[in-house]
Amino acid sequence: MVALPLPPAARSTPYLRVLVADDITESRDALAGLVRELGHTCITASNGAEALSLALSEHPDLVLLDLLMPDLDGFEVTRRLARQVTDRWLPILVTSGLQGDAHFIEALTQGADDCLVRPVDRFLLEAKLRHYGRVLGLQARLAMLAERQQAIHDHIADPVLTVDAAGRICEFNLAAAALLAAPDGASLAGGDLQACTGLPWPVGPFQGEVAVRDRHGRTRPMALASRSWAQGAQSFTTLALHDLSQQQEVGRMKDEFLASVSHELRTPLTSIIGALGLLGAGAAGALPAPALQLLDVARRNSERLSRLIDDVLDLTKLEAGSLRFAMQPRPLAALLAEAVEANASYAERHGVSLHLQEALPQACALVDPDRFLQVMANLLSNAIKFSPAGGRVEVTLQGVRDGWQVTVRDHGPGVPEAFRARLFDKFAQADSSDGRRQGGTGLGLHITRMLVQRMAGTIDVVSAPGQGASFRFTLPAHAGGKPWVLVLARDHQQQVRLQQWLQSLVRLETVIDLDEARSLVERLGPPAAAVADPRGQGRADALAATLRALVPRVVLAGDSLDPGFAQQLGLAWIALAEEGSRERLLDWLRGALAASQ
Amino acid sequence: MTSMQELRRVMCVEDDPDIRTVLEFSLGGLGGYEVCLCADGQEALDRVAAFRPQLVLLDVMMPGLSGPQTLEHLRTRPVMQGVPVVFLTAKAMRDELEELLQYGAAGIIVKAFDPVSLPKDIRIYWEHGRGPAA
Repeated sequence: MVALPLPPAARSTPYLRVLVADDITESRDALAGLVRELGHTCITASNGAEALSLALSEHPDLVLLDLLMPDLDGFEVTRRLARQVTDRWLPILVTSGLQGDAHFIEALTQGADDCLVRPVDRFLLEAKLRHYGRVLGLQARLAMLAERQQAIHDHIADPVLTVDAAGRICEFNLAAAALLAAPDGASLAGGDLQACTGLPWPVGPFQGEVAVRDRHGRTRPMALASRSWAQGAQSFTTLALHDLSQQQEVGRMKDEFLASVSHELRTPLTSIIGALGLLGAGAAGALPAPALQLLDVARRNSERLSRLIDDVLDLTKLEAGSLRFAMQPRPLAALLAEAVEANASYAERHGVSLHLQEALPQACALVDPDRFLQVMANLLSNAIKFSPAGGRVEVTLQGVRDGWQVTVRDHGPGVPEAFRARLFDKFAQADSSDGRRQGGTGLGLHITRMLVQRMAGTIDVVSAPGQGASFRFTLPAHAGGKPWVLVLARDHQQQVRLQQWLQSLVRLETVIDLDEARSLVERLGPPAAAVADPRGQGRADALAATLRALVPRVVLAGDSLDPGFAQQLGLAWIALAEEGSRERLLDWLRGALAASQ
Repeated sequence: MTSMQELRRVMCVEDDPDIRTVLEFSLGGLGGYEVCLCADGQEALDRVAAFRPQLVLLDVMMPGLSGPQTLEHLRTRPVMQGVPVVFLTAKAMRDELEELLQYGAAGIIVKAFDPVSLPKDIRIYWEHGRGPAA
């Protein structure tokens, strides 16, 4: 543990507040005077009863107590102080002029801390007070440190609990106290974890989502990270919780919002596009040429708005990792022919001809056919838009090192070099001066790249000014029976990172959740191994168990992984944020591939 | 359903009045069909026996009876024997569309549809009893 630096002690030997108790005035005054001379403050008591009462009311740091006093003698005062002062340590130094050690030994067994012979030697007293001052100073610093640790614990906004080996709560912070209550209003301290939270026991090292019962009896979805530790022979588990209810509520509202956006925006657009189309088709009689021209402006733009809605909805789902892909092995030639046919009428309207090169019948890739057609529709409509009237758009398919490459080539103005790097970014459009702003949504190519990446492919563009543009995307070749590796990650960035790291080694298939993983394994047979990022997949132990039933070799790879947790599950794990993680992951994968053969 | 028979009578169930107007111009004006426009599921149930549609275009999200609920009720009517029902929907996600087909619709037309080609499009559903893409 790294402790916060404490403020330095004001003085290495602090001044003490000393209580001097003695029934004889002269010796009391002499001792009190000595104490004051040494720089300490002093209060005095002339009998045992007064000494007791001052010790409790005046909070001295130390007591100099004469053993021989009438009524309550020093032995009795020592016994009572030991019983009554329980909130701190009050050092008691007994004094006596009697010969021999017997009475001192008696006082020390009754609870006194030290003894001094009367008359008290100035240097001996100075040394003893310095010694006790240092010990008390150290003690105060430790108390301050403990108080500070407690304050930090209490100021953690998330509930933190520590339970013993029997599942009883020993420590909890304010957030935990605010969240939880023991049944029947009993104290949380010493309460049974299971009874107070509904969490199963034993928890052990864990990382994932759980359901926690709060003080009102409501069940809340929470993220739990727990670690076990030991102090001496005792073992403890510390649990840190984080409430996910708000996050889940936001997610649900977002989904609902998207569904209603889709409906509410499309309904008026349906009427607008429909009415404009009917007018243009002469459903209300022939229109003069200028009216048709204006009508065309309105129709084109309402269709653009409709595409924008589709794109925004697609993008939102892609980014949230909620767009399902039905991946299946498909011959690409047939899909390309279908894509060309589907976009033929659009090309015709622009006076552009589409040409599909004699395609390779053996080219087969694992794709979601609908999403593949969407990629092609985006690339073809782009190429058509930027083609001059009478232009050609060529679609070719060829084998490359990494798989099958589809190229869509136009003979338009090309993509300016300065813009090429941003071409696939969100809302990227070159400025209007270069003629590439053609009524698009600015999302098409961004979505296209995300779709291609989701199908384990890559996309780029080659272009020279004035010589058109070639958009090329490559999908890994599908060869039945060859080893493949399942990548499970909900986050798009994570998917792309893992693909970039691993695709040179083995064919990868990416899925967003266990449902997709299951249906893919059903279609393709079991993969050689699986690389899974547990983030956003619910309970990590359940995830691991399900994955292991599907795949013989599983490695957890993520940005925020708990090594203790992965170890407990008996799983290999790699923290991707750490240096050298890429090499470790590749090593693991090579080992897994070797073991699978 | 024999192809000798001509598709003449089309019932459209759609809560949005403007889309009803577009449907009337498209199917009635351009397509030359006899069109029965209904503003909700209940009106469709009330008029189906008298109108005897050969094909029904049915909006999915409507107040009162939803499209799928309306379809369920329509299916109990003898005049609906063998009559294809096509959903009209603003939903575009594949999962949602597949779910809709499970209600026993002949096909789905996604909004915004092209009113110029709609008369021809619905004829394909009528001839095959099931969508061209399905």
